[in-house]
Amino acid sequence: MNQNAIKDLLYKMADDQLILGHKNSEWTGFGPLLEEDIAFSSMAQDKVGQSWQLYKILNELGESDPDTVAFMRNAEQFHNSQFVELPNGEYDFSLIRHFLFDTAELIRFQMLAESSFETLANLAKKIKGETKYHSMHANIWIKQLGSATEESISRLQDSLDKSMPYALGMFEVSEFEQDLINEGLFAGEEALKAQWKTKVTEVISETSLILPDMESITPVYGGRYGKHTEHLQPLLTEMSEVFNVDPTADW
Amino acid sequence: MLKSLDPRVNRLSIPDDFEAPMAAKEQLDQFETYQSFIQTKEGKPFEHAGTVHAPNEEMAFLFAKEQFSRRGTFCHALCVVKTELILVSEFTDNGQDVYDTFKGSYSGDTSASFEVFHSVKRGKHHKHIGTVEAKDFEDALLASKETYPRDKPVFNVWIAKSEDILMSDEEDADIWNTLKEKKYRDAIDYKAADRIKAFKAEQG
Repeated sequence: MNQNAIKDLLYKMADDQLILGHKNSEWTGFGPLLEEDIAFSSMAQDKVGQSWQLYKILNELGESDPDTVAFMRNAEQFHNSQFVELPNGEYDFSLIRHFLFDTAELIRFQMLAESSFETLANLAKKIKGETKYHSMHANIWIKQLGSATEESISRLQDSLDKSMPYALGMFEVSEFEQDLINEGLFAGEEALKAQWKTKVTEVISETSLILPDMESITPVYGGRYGKHTEHLQPLLTEMSEVFNVDPTADW
Repeated sequence: MLKSLDPRVNRLSIPDDFEAPMAAKEQLDQFETYQSFIQTKEGKPFEHAGTVHAPNEEMAFLFAKEQFSRRGTFCHALCVVKTELILVSEFTDNGQDVYDTFKGSYSGDTSASFEVFHSVKRGKHHKHIGTVEAKDFEDALLASKETYPRDKPVFNVWIAKSEDILMSDEEDADIWNTLKEKKYRDAIDYKAADRIKAFKAEQG
């Protein structure tokens, strides 16, 4: 097994889950209604939990322990897509990001359930239920607000248009892409993107929203190679505040 | 700007002074309520879990799943029904069987299907008892009275039309298979009891 290839894959997935989990958790106490506040916070915690599981696999492959990896790196050492580090803005943007990201998340883990790397395949199978609910939650919200009122439709449409270049950036290929595919570790970003497009198109077609023409959009790449927006470093600084005060602090 | 220890609050840029008085809320600014019922294991009866607010039953299901079926609650299936679509019987004191208060007899009509839930004691959750066929809600109560023998008094009965219930899909039962390791979600090792006691003592 190509160690560098698998580590690169694990890092980008774990970093996506950690950063988006943290961003989504910022809605705790601010959600649009109590029930949704609880559901969204709960899914955010799932994401942080999934990142922890992925960092644990990295740890088994010789990387530092999960806390160190999560809290001691600088922005340029993170491999998350730029999409997940963008500020929450209003709830419409968070919902659209949740929909576009979690659709990919579900398909990615479904694909990884077939990975030749057994540890990762087992984890993918274990969290199938969580990711399925996440995607179900996103789809129902998008279908609801995507055909509700003039305001809800135009807000979602704006967020969808704004998100699409970043969403396509999630599928930036790795320098080890061919190794991942050849060794049966992961079927690759292009295969994932194709399935994702189908699913996103299907859900959006059930709403009054218009899917931007993906072929004419230039994806925002760079995140997978450590190039980030100005939003990531302040976020990391805030996330690691406690860790920096007392690295041995524990619950 | 309003200053908070929570950086998220600071990012909202809330002014120090609010316009007073605050704008009045619309009278009905809440969604309608739905009742949720959980089946912990295949074959076990559904039991009432609680109430959620939602704009429709699909969203009620989404919310009920996160409110009532995690954190150590085993769940196999979940269903929701709009509160206003549940017929609630009279209540009794715990000694009397509420069925004894229903007058009349079951019509024998089988044109609609109803789900019957019993609470056996004040404060106890309603449990699914079975399905009866009848012509309307009142008739369903009488059908239930004839159908289900009772060795203990029933405190209260809920009746819902079977078609009004949104049930989780069998093929989605895996949404309850989550990671077992949930320690990161809990503050179980966060020992605050001593500090709370000291604080209370200080307050007298």
